[in-house]
Amino acid sequence: MKIHGDNENLYEVTAYTEDSLGLLYSISGIFARRSLDIYKLLCYPSAIEGVFKIKVYVWATPDLIRQAVLQIEKKVDVIKAYFEIDSQRSKREVAEVKDILRNREELKTN
Amino acid sequence: MTGAEILLESLIAQGAETVFGYPGGQIMPVYDKLYDYGDRIRHILVRHEQGAVHAAQGYARIKGAPGVVMVTSGPGATNALTGIADALIDSTPLVVIAGQVPNGALGTDAFQETDYIGLTAPITKWNYQIRSAEDVAHAVARAFYIAGSGRPGPVVLDMTKDAQVGIAEYVPAKCDFIRSYQPCPVPDDSILDRAARMIDAAERPLVVFGHGVMLSGAEKELAAFLSKGDIPAGSTLLGLSCLDSDNPHFIGMVGMHGNLAPNVMTQQCDLLIAVGMRFDDRVTGTLSSYACQAKKIHIDIDPAELDKLVRVDLPVLGDARYVLSELTARIREVKRPEWMMRPIMEASVEKHKVIDPELHPAGGMLKQGEVVAAVAEACGGNAVIVTDVGQHQMSAARYSRFHNSRSMITSGGLGTMGFGLPAAIGAKIAAPERTVCLFVGDGGIQMTIQELGTIMQEGTGVKIVLLDNNWLGNVRQWQELFFGSRYSFTRMMNPDYSAIAAAYGIAYKRVEKRGELASAVRQMFETDGAFLLDVHVEEAFNVFPMIPPGKSVDQIMLNETDWI
Repeated sequence: MKIHGDNENLYEVTAYTEDSLGLLYSISGIFARRSLDIYKLLCYPSAIEGVFKIKVYVWATPDLIRQAVLQIEKKVDVIKAYFEIDSQRSKREVAEVKDILRNREELKTN
Repeated sequence: MTGAEILLESLIAQGAETVFGYPGGQIMPVYDKLYDYGDRIRHILVRHEQGAVHAAQGYARIKGAPGVVMVTSGPGATNALTGIADALIDSTPLVVIAGQVPNGALGTDAFQETDYIGLTAPITKWNYQIRSAEDVAHAVARAFYIAGSGRPGPVVLDMTKDAQVGIAEYVPAKCDFIRSYQPCPVPDDSILDRAARMIDAAERPLVVFGHGVMLSGAEKELAAFLSKGDIPAGSTLLGLSCLDSDNPHFIGMVGMHGNLAPNVMTQQCDLLIAVGMRFDDRVTGTLSSYACQAKKIHIDIDPAELDKLVRVDLPVLGDARYVLSELTARIREVKRPEWMMRPIMEASVEKHKVIDPELHPAGGMLKQGEVVAAVAEACGGNAVIVTDVGQHQMSAARYSRFHNSRSMITSGGLGTMGFGLPAAIGAKIAAPERTVCLFVGDGGIQMTIQELGTIMQEGTGVKIVLLDNNWLGNVRQWQELFFGSRYSFTRMMNPDYSAIAAAYGIAYKRVEKRGELASAVRQMFETDGAFLLDVHVEEAFNVFPMIPPGKSVDQIMLNETDWI
């Protein structure tokens, strides 16, 4: 198992893209060039018709992930790219689910 | 129409007048139609596909519009890769059209099939495989728009044989918008106001400008900005010729073999304003010590360049021309007499320690700087200077003079030996009315020497100054200075260049003595057509000043023994 540095986090990178042949290769290449191992990669249609969503999970330092995401966003067929720390995303999602459940409980009570 | 005809009509619609190329199996349908388009598209038959791309680069740098390349699949396409990579890193707009095997043969290891989309993905701004004739016009319009807009770069169109021979109606296509692509971001007024306040507050501001100034056509805006703020400015290698060499605010070239003034003042300024440059390591030296004392503003059109290598206080995302003109309107008009004296003092040290020994040596063989200076004097700073890569490149950059923009064409980021000769051909074809003078070493010329055949066939009047020292000089210099003078495989035996020139019907003159130089240069410029001036220069020559690797930009070797 790869040892990760103190300054490294598992980031979730999200890119909204056009349906473009070879773009996935291009995006994964940006990580490979900086020796960033891709931990998990997902690609699926987004809620917007004709727009795809690529999610890449990668261990990196804050500076490297920022630079890599800027290079992804620079690709002509990438509409928007951003990143967040995976654990923050998990906490946010848990909070969102809790919020939804709380709202439903309140509805039930009322 | 066939897809091949639609391609040619689309090129014409985009204003492409010249194509640099080499035919082959999988691009033959296009070449077959090109036979009928000779009166509308000039095709330059190069001798190797790498030459086609470099020639198109030289053409594009002069024209400020995409150069067009046409190659076949497989080896034709892979031979073009070096030039494409060079164009990406140096922001040169190109549209490279490569033939590809028929749709049904894709992925089958067919004869002369390569995965060109995969191969070019990391070295293009955009690439696209055209598989049907219906797709051709739209793809070409999109390719030209992407290549030439924002930060320019190379685009590859991988055109299968089905797309070339298929039939479709030609509907002219235009492209000036792509929803996922924002080529020209405009900075907020608040950012510009903040930048202006920083400039007004600075006592010792310094501008370092690069190729971005030329690409955005901001030469006049830069000069006006420098004049109003009374700010000294240094150029990167690719920024040379953006400012007139005689401009009082121009203080020379930054970087490893740059001038003392801009390098030393980088470590003395209190505000560094970087315009259209990307803090290449050849410019910054050791990053950890680069201009640490200064606040920094970085103006660039490419968001991925901001805060990439050097953390700045204020990134300004925008086109150099727009930003400079807005800043000029916002800053106060001031004079900085003391600060403007500093480059004069540094230039005086450089003249005494470096320039005079180079240009006026007591004796010995000719030095490279002497040759460049003789050429500069003969053409009055009005020629287009093209270089290959190596010691001669640095000598040409240091001792050439420029009075017009787009007059320095060189391979900066990739440092591609073999670039010079074909790039000079492309430059001359783009600007037949201008004198185009190539400086090249004996290593570099032999990498693409076959393009002398292109000169012969096209009658291209390139003036070639070969600085011949029987070494791979730049590597030899590093071996001498940093590898204990262990000259590992850098000694080079040269062919008889007079015989080579004669074989290609090119005028030739050999110069060995100092006294012969001026008249030989004069003869070169007075001779119609191409000329090969073979100047035998000092062999154990080192380019100085030099910031050695791992050093700060103010730790400079003036010669083999003296530092500042």
